[in-house]
Amino acid sequence: MPRLTARERREGYQREYAFQKRHGKPFFPNAVFHDTIVSLIVVALIMGLTILWYAQFGPVSADPTAERVGGLLGPAYEAKADPGVLGYHPQPDWYFFFLFELLRIFKTPQLLIVGTIIIPTIWMVLLIGWPFIDRNPDRRLSRRPIALAIGVMVPVVLLTLTFYGSKAPGVGGAASTEPGAAAFAGGACSTCHVLANAGTAGNVGPVLDDAKPDYATALKLITNGQGGMPSFKATYTEDEISCLAGYVATWSAAVGETPGPNADTAKETYPASCEKAGGLFTGTASSAAGP
Amino acid sequence: MSTLLPPPKEIAMMPVDWVEERSGAISFGKFMLFRNVPKDISWLQTLGSALITVFILQSTTGILLAMYYQPDPDTAWSTIQWITNDATLGWLVRGMHKWGSSIMVVLLFLHMGRTFLFGAYKYPREMTWITGAIIFILVMGMSFTGYLLVFDERAYWATIVGVNINGTAPILGPALSYILMVGPEISTYTLSRFYSLHMLVLPSAIGGLIFLHMLLVVRLGVTSPPWSRMQPTEDDV
Ligand code: HEC
Ligand code: HEM
Repeated sequence: MPRLTARERREGYQREYAFQKRHGKPFFPNAVFHDTIVSLIVVALIMGLTILWYAQFGPVSADPTAERVGGLLGPAYEAKADPGVLGYHPQPDWYFFFLFELLRIFKTPQLLIVGTIIIPTIWMVLLIGWPFIDRNPDRRLSRRPIALAIGVMVPVVLLTLTFYGSKAPGVGGAASTEPGAAAFAGGACSTCHVLANAGTAGNVGPVLDDAKPDYATALKLITNGQGGMPSFKATYTEDEISCLAGYVATWSAAVGETPGPNADTAKETYPASCEKAGGLFTGTASSAAGP
Repeated sequence: MSTLLPPPKEIAMMPVDWVEERSGAISFGKFMLFRNVPKDISWLQTLGSALITVFILQSTTGILLAMYYQPDPDTAWSTIQWITNDATLGWLVRGMHKWGSSIMVVLLFLHMGRTFLFGAYKYPREMTWITGAIIFILVMGMSFTGYLLVFDERAYWATIVGVNINGTAPILGPALSYILMVGPEISTYTLSRFYSLHMLVLPSAIGGLIFLHMLLVVRLGVTSPPWSRMQPTEDDV
């Protein structure tokens, strides 16, 4: 087939579409009939989900750490938001799971921005600009191998990320099972600090993997606060504060299972204070058990 | 007497003619209904109209919810509780709004997939795709802002994570999350800001874009499927 100029192609399209319209059928009743049926099915589906959800959710517990109640489709709502609650593992709604999983893949502080900003931005640019990227005029799939490959790959990647994101135990506490990690990630600390080991991405305070505080510094700041950092004297017991300070000193700037440079400064108390603090502070790691 | 009055049929048509003469609404409606579409359009091409249905559903249930909901950290959660448990059919309204949002996202993906596989974004429909893509991003914004409004534990912590995600952007990031939360933490102002985005700003923007999207769809006509055999012959030109 001879190569057509862009203009000839556009004229070819106009001719073809004018023909298809001339030999077409009126929108009403043909298309309207199909549209109505599909809309009714969709509304019925939404009502069905609502009724199933309503039929199965039980009474809501006032205790925020209690098991979630609710049937197949989840609870009506959870306990009232309480910034002081520890150990809550937030999960976004299902359509943000893919983003959530990206966060977990790029969880080190240097790479975090790849998952949070760079990939989503590239995504949006590609999405909006797509008609200008795909310049192939043909619409038949057999003549669009690259578009077909992308069209198959994107849903596969998104579904995979969504699947693993749904299995993730929540951003807080996702990354580590060391003593103190769950308390750090589940508490207020996660709101303000990046600490890769705990998987937190807060941005009010310094990135702890860069600050690499030693035990004494951390203990002092958590106890008394300073500048934008609140004092936690009233919130936590002495053991709990010691545990958090030990955790931060030990695991800031850690590389995988190897503790960070200031780990030695916390040796005396960490993880002993965490054991004493008990509960969420003990961690669930049993390195003996292996992965 | 009877000669003074036109026949009943004409009397009945008088308001219609009056409107038509001044606005052209009737002939516009006729054009919309009876304009031709390609003979071989498929069921896959009904997803867009299903999206319009869901958008109308979300707007209606959303307005009903807004009549009872209070965007205040102290009362938001209790009003949700009241709507769900005590208001007449409140559970149905809230439930349909909640599940409608999920179905809308699913339909968006399917509709996008359909137009992608049909190559429907190619000449001359590039702008239809672009308006659609912006709608898609705004709908994700609706989901994000709507999630906080319940103001339960899940909503609270998920929003903190979400805002922190914005916060990791270079230079603009911290400012952006500060603007989103109206300060360093989630407060009364965060909730009313999210509420205003969720029920005023984003829905108006989406509604306007849907209007543009539809204008383009009607102007350009829907594509026939790429496997269409309806090709003009030489002597038909
Ligand atoms: C409201 C935000 C906020 C919260 C919540 C918060 N921090 Fe901080 N944190 C800060 C700020 C801001 C600084 C910097 C203080 C300064 O140096 O003036 C800081 C500093 C620190 C430092 C010292 C880092 C260095 O410079 O060496 C440590 C350690 C620390 N925080 C640990 C914690 C722990 C553990 C928690 C949880 C119990 C926590 N923070 C909760 C905001 C916060
Ligand atoms: C609320 C959101 C949306 C609504 C209400 C909507 C509505 C519609 C409707 C009614 C049509 C007519 C044909 C059909 O139903 O398939 C259509 C076509 C189209 N839509 Fe959407 N749409 C939405 C979102 C999107 C998105 C997210 C995209 C892509 C990024 C998109 C791209 C297109 C394109 C390219 C067409 C032309 C298809 C053709 O001519 O065959 N739309 N839309």
